[in-house]
Amino acid sequence: MENYVYIALFAPLVSSLFAALFAQKPKIQLVGIVTSVLIIVSLLASLTLLLHIEETGKAVSVTLMDWIQAGDMDIKFGFTVDQVTAVMMSVVTLVSSVVHVYSNYYMESDRSFNRFFSYLSAFVFSMMILVMSDNFLGLFIGWEGVGVCSWLLIGFWYDKKDVTRDINPSISPSWAANEAFIMNRIADLGMLVGIFMIYWNLGTLKYSEVFAHLDTLSHGMLVGIGIALFIGAMGKSAQFPLHTWLADAMEGPTPVSALIHAATMVTAGVYLVIRANPLYSQIPEVGYFIAVLGTFVAIFAASMALVNRDLKRVIAYSTLSQLGYMFAAAGLGAYWVALFHLAAHAFFKALLFVGAGNVMHAMHDELDMFKMGGLKKQMKWTFLYMGVASLALSGIYPFAGFFSKDTILEAAFNEHTYGIWFVLWFTAGLTAFYSFRQVFMVFFGDERYHELGVHPHEAKPYALWAMAPLAVLALIFGFFKEDFVEFVTKFLPAYEMSEHTEHMVWILTIVTTAIALTGIIIAYFKYSKGLKRNLEFEKKNKVYNLLINQYYIPILYEKTFSKPYKELSEIAWKEIDMEIVDAGVDGIAKAVKVMGDESRKMQNGNLSSYLKWMVAGFIIVTVVSLLTVVIK
Amino acid sequence: MTIGLSHYLILSAILFSVGLAGVLRRKNLLMLFFATEIMLNAANIAFAAISVHIGDLSGQMFALFIIAIAASEVAVGLGLLILIYKKYGTLDLDNLSIMKG
Amino acid sequence: MSNILTLLIFFPLIAAIFGFFVNKNSIRVYGIAVSAAEFLLSLWLWKSYDSAQAGFQFVEKMPLIPDFGISYYLGVDGISLFIVIMATLMTMIGIIALSVKDGLKNLIITLLFLEVAMVGVFVSLDVILFYVFWEFSLVPMLYIIGAWGGSKRVYAAIKFFIYTFAGSLVMLVGILYLAYLYYTTTGVWSFSLTDWYALLLPMTVQKYLFWAFFLGFAIKVPMFPFHTWLPYAHGQAPTVGSVILAAVLLKMGSYGFVRFSLPLFPDASVAYITPVAVIAIIMIIYTAMVAYAQKDMKQVIAYSSISHMGVIIIGTFAMNAEGISGSIFQMLSHGIVSGALFMLVGVIYDRRHTKLMSEFGGLAKVMPTYATIFVIMTMASVGLPLTIGFIGEYLSLAGFFKVSPLMTVIAGTSIIVGAVYMLSLVKKSFFGPVTNPENEKLKDLDSKELWALIPLVAIVVWLGIYPKPVLGPINNSTKALVQLMHNKAQTPEAKKIILVSKKAKEAK
Repeated sequence: MENYVYIALFAPLVSSLFAALFAQKPKIQLVGIVTSVLIIVSLLASLTLLLHIEETGKAVSVTLMDWIQAGDMDIKFGFTVDQVTAVMMSVVTLVSSVVHVYSNYYMESDRSFNRFFSYLSAFVFSMMILVMSDNFLGLFIGWEGVGVCSWLLIGFWYDKKDVTRDINPSISPSWAANEAFIMNRIADLGMLVGIFMIYWNLGTLKYSEVFAHLDTLSHGMLVGIGIALFIGAMGKSAQFPLHTWLADAMEGPTPVSALIHAATMVTAGVYLVIRANPLYSQIPEVGYFIAVLGTFVAIFAASMALVNRDLKRVIAYSTLSQLGYMFAAAGLGAYWVALFHLAAHAFFKALLFVGAGNVMHAMHDELDMFKMGGLKKQMKWTFLYMGVASLALSGIYPFAGFFSKDTILEAAFNEHTYGIWFVLWFTAGLTAFYSFRQVFMVFFGDERYHELGVHPHEAKPYALWAMAPLAVLALIFGFFKEDFVEFVTKFLPAYEMSEHTEHMVWILTIVTTAIALTGIIIAYFKYSKGLKRNLEFEKKNKVYNLLINQYYIPILYEKTFSKPYKELSEIAWKEIDMEIVDAGVDGIAKAVKVMGDESRKMQNGNLSSYLKWMVAGFIIVTVVSLLTVVIK
Repeated sequence: MTIGLSHYLILSAILFSVGLAGVLRRKNLLMLFFATEIMLNAANIAFAAISVHIGDLSGQMFALFIIAIAASEVAVGLGLLILIYKKYGTLDLDNLSIMKG
Repeated sequence: MSNILTLLIFFPLIAAIFGFFVNKNSIRVYGIAVSAAEFLLSLWLWKSYDSAQAGFQFVEKMPLIPDFGISYYLGVDGISLFIVIMATLMTMIGIIALSVKDGLKNLIITLLFLEVAMVGVFVSLDVILFYVFWEFSLVPMLYIIGAWGGSKRVYAAIKFFIYTFAGSLVMLVGILYLAYLYYTTTGVWSFSLTDWYALLLPMTVQKYLFWAFFLGFAIKVPMFPFHTWLPYAHGQAPTVGSVILAAVLLKMGSYGFVRFSLPLFPDASVAYITPVAVIAIIMIIYTAMVAYAQKDMKQVIAYSSISHMGVIIIGTFAMNAEGISGSIFQMLSHGIVSGALFMLVGVIYDRRHTKLMSEFGGLAKVMPTYATIFVIMTMASVGLPLTIGFIGEYLSLAGFFKVSPLMTVIAGTSIIVGAVYMLSLVKKSFFGPVTNPENEKLKDLDSKELWALIPLVAIVVWLGIYPKPVLGPINNSTKALVQLMHNKAQTPEAKKIILVSKKAKEAK
């Protein structure tokens, strides 16, 4: 089994390096094929491991080699595949495989076709390290690795120039990439601090050893570690207040958004909380905070999705909102529920994004939904796929989202945190509304795209076939809930609903489905027919402006952080470094020079004045020596 | 009143001060020479007097040495003075400033 | 081969003298051959080095002025071994990448002289010998900046020379006083470092001496507020000068802290952790901000050097094996990475004769290989795991966390502010559309530049993934150093903070 671990891990690396060989060459179709095959190999290895663990119930651990050894620190490249990891690996490689195959279509006419596959496979490799590592520092490698790949891929079309926020809220791909990287770094510092705390208190970073000795730590220390690690998770999973980068990350090619910014990387934070469940179970107050924050982000992001006109941004906000759901579940201690929603969400959200990719291709990269409409006729399959994905996202029976989201709501109800339950319940309605607003605006109504002069076309058949696994999973994944629970609770703590909740389940389900359906119906009536932009409303309405401008948070960040930092830097350089520090040094040098200049005047060539200086010196020496004699 | 060591030393000090004043005030190089001679002789008096006072001959030997050195100095110095006078036509200190820095 | 260190020092010296007689046209080949031979010699040193031993190896001792206990005393341990190898490597790479046309012969000879001084500093165990090499290193650098530099080269060269010289004079006073103390306590003169290690000094004396040495080292590092010579020196120096200055000469200062300040004055070092750490934190954050404000690519990297040296200082004053090993590893990593970055800036300067970022933009499209290597080095510079930059930074911060969690969190912002200035440099120069028509036809890296840069990329990745061959010996020697400090420490506070690692304790 060890070999399968290595195959799953290193196939993406080989794939990335292979593609990198041709990075500067014009498109080579073979690169796309080879990388896709290698990722599929990784998928097969992951599935084999999944089945193996299912059979034996035992984790597979391997140690590759030593990494850092200094003082008492001894860190190895160790990998362990347990139930959680196996699920994550399968999800990651499955979505990656789909996205790789799909990218052959999506990027077919891109100048940097080969380079794209190199980055994409490198991302898969980093993500595999992240989920497979058996220690926190290995996790951190993957953590930073996915960050860099995300940076490379968001900024993939680096040669676009910066524009103002009115034209493009993300300014430019390279700007968005830097924003994502730097914001993640802020969170990574928190994570690093958490790692330091663990190391100095427990002397190890290996999960198994750390979690076995947690009870030796004081409660305060546990809280500290829990908060520090969660700060790390907040960055990667774009939780408030570090959320702005995710929407801007939509500057990357759409397959990237599907893979990185919906299905896998952004769920790394949730994975971390699930992985560290022995820690978080001991600090319920931090868990509660996580749940509250997640709930807040769920409704906060959903509200921004309500009004956005940008096809991809809507999905990005919905991702943000769903991440909030996952954190709410994980924070409440329902770890397997969070993992279940993570997996289900990965399938339908990737499907949604890839579908959006098809639409973008058909519309020649136009993203404004007001300029689309009526695409159902030309793009039957895409419509079907996106419809399935939206139904899953809205939580309609029997799609995957129904099972996972319902369970989260039940868990919230079960914990007697009715506030959280209510907000999440309401958000479910918003989710259904904005999802179907999108579907109706894109696929129904009058064909507004004629103004743009584009002729929409359906994606190539192989691209549509590539999407099929996701669609199937979005459809049926929910029915595996029981198996899933049985599988992962061998590792994760089981989460049992109380009897009271059991009684209420039917009512809860009905209530939730009702609000979701309400959302869909409202969206239908509002957007499925003819549609005109109401510019007057957009200009005047305060709520609309608040939402479309993301609560003015990006502007606020720019005004309170980036701009003052830049100005302060200028001051530090021009005023402090040049005017004070350096001028001080030069001042000392100048003082010496002035002293020399002044004393040079003694040397006037006049013998009698020399003699006077001599006598003066003689007198001073005499006086000083006499004084020293007297004082002694 | 017997003449003691202090009298000699006072004389020496007075002579030295006279010489010093001459060095500082005079502008003519020749006069400067005379003034330094006076200072040297002030030192000689002090040497000789102290030598007698503590009964050690080395002080008087020093005085003799100084006289010898002063003599040779005058010999060389006067030669230089003549050369300077021939070259610049003056012995006034204020006009001789080619060493100006 | 017991005289390998002598050979290592004097081979470039003799080669430099012979260099005067070499034909102008073949001097380049001669320079590369000599520096390559020297590099191979240092690799051989590594091969013969016994990694299991922590103490000094290849020791040579020969009295020079026996009356004052001054001797020709050489040796290497894990701490200095790799800095020596890095010095020979960077000299070789610097000579390979040379693009200077005027006075090439003199430049190569000067570089060989500089190599003598650099190797000498790191292998000397006699303090006077160390001091001689320390000061001698200034002279070739003065020439390199002053003769082959930019328009303000003379100002920069003199500033560099006088500033660092003034600092080392204070250190010399400290050295002489310490030697005198040694004489009064033991009755014999000795300048050998190993003898001094055995000396127990009272706290008051340690304090004065600590600051005397501190000034010498701090100016060299350079630590805030003594850093302003560095931007000028880098700004004016030719590429090879910047490479060696950043890679090796700055390390002399931080090496001095590890070799002298910590083991000689353990109590004072512990007592002054806070002020030193505060200075280091100012270096990290403040110079990172200054770097962000720069318009000139080379100045960004110059200021980033100061910021990274702050992390090294933090690690050094962690007083435990994790932090000190990390800081030594970070010295190597910074040497390789900033050396490479300076070389990369040199590449674009050769093509465009400007280093202003506003002149560029969109270079990634025109020079893809160049951009790739630049981005790899950028990532190493911001401390990405699996590159060389991460390990040192991580260990330094981890080590200091034991001393002060709060200050570590503040110092840890280096991973944020570092990303800010480096990424904005990359964005301004490499991303966006090609706006300047002069940039449209730029040539990508030629074979000479690739030969110089590819080895550095290889090292960056190799030591990022598998640092053990280097980190192992460093760790061994560091543990011994910490043990020595712990044994010497007199104040209870120092005993507590200087943390002997558990494994070393068990081994005893």
